[in-house]
Amino acid sequence: MSESASANAPKPSSSVKLVLLGEAAVGKSSLVLRFVNNDFQENKEPTIGAAFLTQKCTLPTRTIKFEIWDTAGQERFASLAPMYYRNAQAALVVYDVTKPSSLTKAKHWVAELQRQASPGIVIALVGNKLDLTNDGGDDAGASPAPQAESESGQEGNEGAAEDAEEQLPASGDARKVSTREASTYAEEEGLLFFETSAKIGTNVVEVFTAIANAIPESSLKTGRGAGGAGQTALGSRPGEDSRVNLGDRNAATAKEGCAC
Amino acid sequence: MESLSEHPWDVIIAGTGLDQSLLALALSRSGKKVLHLDQNSYYGGSEAAFSLDEASEWMNCVNQRRTPFEDAKISNHQASPQSASSQVDSAASELPQGTPDNRPKLAASRAYTLSLSPYFLYTRSELISILISSKVYRQLEFMAVGSWWIYSPEPPNAESHELGATRLFHRVPGNREDVFADSNISMKSKRTLMRFLRQISKPQDEEEQDETEEKEDLSMPFADYLSSNFSVPRDLQDPLLSLSLSQLAQQDTSASYAVPRIKRHLASIGALGPGFGGVVSKYGGGSEILQVGCRASAVGGAVYALDTGIQSITDGGLSSESEHPVEVHLSNGETIRSRTLIGSAWDLPSIDQPSCTKVSRSITIASSAFTSLFPVTTEGAPVPASAVLMFPGDTLGSPQSPPVYLQVHSSDTGDCPRQQSIIYGSVAVSGPQGHALLERAVDRLLQAEGTQAIALWSMRYTQLGRLSNGGTPPSIQTHSPHVYSFPPPSLDLAFEDETVDMIKQAWIKIVGDEVAHDEFMIFEDREGTSDD
Repeated sequence: MSESASANAPKPSSSVKLVLLGEAAVGKSSLVLRFVNNDFQENKEPTIGAAFLTQKCTLPTRTIKFEIWDTAGQERFASLAPMYYRNAQAALVVYDVTKPSSLTKAKHWVAELQRQASPGIVIALVGNKLDLTNDGGDDAGASPAPQAESESGQEGNEGAAEDAEEQLPASGDARKVSTREASTYAEEEGLLFFETSAKIGTNVVEVFTAIANAIPESSLKTGRGAGGAGQTALGSRPGEDSRVNLGDRNAATAKEGCAC
Repeated sequence: MESLSEHPWDVIIAGTGLDQSLLALALSRSGKKVLHLDQNSYYGGSEAAFSLDEASEWMNCVNQRRTPFEDAKISNHQASPQSASSQVDSAASELPQGTPDNRPKLAASRAYTLSLSPYFLYTRSELISILISSKVYRQLEFMAVGSWWIYSPEPPNAESHELGATRLFHRVPGNREDVFADSNISMKSKRTLMRFLRQISKPQDEEEQDETEEKEDLSMPFADYLSSNFSVPRDLQDPLLSLSLSQLAQQDTSASYAVPRIKRHLASIGALGPGFGGVVSKYGGGSEILQVGCRASAVGGAVYALDTGIQSITDGGLSSESEHPVEVHLSNGETIRSRTLIGSAWDLPSIDQPSCTKVSRSITIASSAFTSLFPVTTEGAPVPASAVLMFPGDTLGSPQSPPVYLQVHSSDTGDCPRQQSIIYGSVAVSGPQGHALLERAVDRLLQAEGTQAIALWSMRYTQLGRLSNGGTPPSIQTHSPHVYSFPPPSLDLAFEDETVDMIKQAWIKIVGDEVAHDEFMIFEDREGTSDD
């Protein structure tokens, strides 16, 4: 059981539920795949399959175990269940830097999170597919993009964004959402902001590390984790430690160490 | 895919109750192309769980639509609990600002998760088995259901030192140790109780070998069975009845219903840890389980659309040559085709409403933690988050009535903020009489706890569904070779295992012989989902 402090690292370890949101095909699952497996699949099928992944992130003072919840495509017909957002301590809202409408959609998700999720949720806005822009992505700092189009582009205004599309240089730069437009929005809403490339790995680990650092210590105490019924002290309160571990019933057949 | 009519479906499932959600999960993992719809904008149908705001919204439309509910009404006691002024319906935020107000208050709407159909699972339930075998339990958190209590208006001990509500409640002994320790039971009664408990907790095969006990007659009323076979005195019959969770009056409960359920109760204690036999899912009970089921089903490839009802069905029937003979017209204007359609009677417009039992229910948010109802009674046991209270009809001035059950959820269930509790009431009496019984029971509990315990908010409603009766198990109705419906939703307080068999039967009807039937709900962990 990796939660227990005695496992292998002396650092305190906490679980963080992270939900992943964004328009279809912006690369949500690819970002997670890069983070979890350091892997990338070209032309990945829409997400069906793994939608609940875990990955550890080691900080100087503690270890954060991300429980990453993918939407499994349930966002398509506005059918995400309340349990998807419930108790999420972090959210990754992803858009595609080559597709202005995906930023509009991302803004909807941010509003939805502010309405539905826990008040203290840490939200990171992430512009993915940086490899398709001239910024390339080998510079992990994601140098500021040219700002020309963002000056004219109204927030969430697809018409303006399409105008910007026409102004694109013929250099092969597919960027249609400027860094400044998105970062200004992120600043206004108090979001973390990154541009990433899941394909070549730019900034992916940085996003998760930044989220891990931004999670307040206080919210980690109530983190989700392995709480076995057997280890509960008599009369202990509050109930976080009084959770019943269903795995106990089939201890013989259940895989060892699976307790989340 | 942006449109539901883009391609035909193998199965359309209408309604997102637990039965439908588990069926969707099973089918999605058997390679079926599943579309799972709900006419509501929330999951769960009659098993949904709501915030305060969602509950008001629900109440406003449930009385006007074809639903398995009637007569829903919310009372907000917040404004002025003591002086009962004119502000009864005003919200918390409208209280005058400035003056310090130390009265207990409702928290924000979303701090609450109120279940329309609250139930718990016994630890040996088949449902727990499939939650484990399908691996969806990883996304759920469970809390223990602890003690059973019987309301006894006369304090059992004149010199009782107990504080809180338990002054007027007698804890039901759930095992032999409890019986020994119980100071309210006479030695003679203890002996008869022990004999009864020993008899019914015998393993099945041992019982069969025992010639003398073989011809036990279970057709008689449970009360007669206890008196004639074990000489259990009257005052211990209600406590035993409460362990069966029978929602019928004592004289109407048969031994064939009660005895297997008391066995289930006793056999469950300790199966998942010491000191408890039941568990309740955090954050809205069954609603959370079905949502996790739907999510896992989506991971398996099913497509989910809320707010999408079925307006009409055209069934090609037997004569149809089509591979997808069922044509479904949706509320969003789309027309879709499917090989099979299955849903609840309330989700399929062409299906007549099945005959139902009606129960009265209430949900009360109380300004007390009721700490004394959640004792840890065995060393090493988790702190229970739920307790079951039974009020025999005669203790509420209605001797012929079925008992009232209250399930009290502490804040550890995640259903409400700290220092508050949710009281879920249920009685198998419909109409004003049922609501009056519930109100009386909740009042008795609040009074027993003391003056600081008040109702902050409450909702009552009449719910239509099915009570397990120990007879015919629930089954899927076949309307044509392609259209099936589920029986009415369960009104039981503990999950009845026969439901799992029914879901499996529905699954078999649809997958046929394509899949080995013993693989029902057994899935491997997906890559990356387990701990390292």
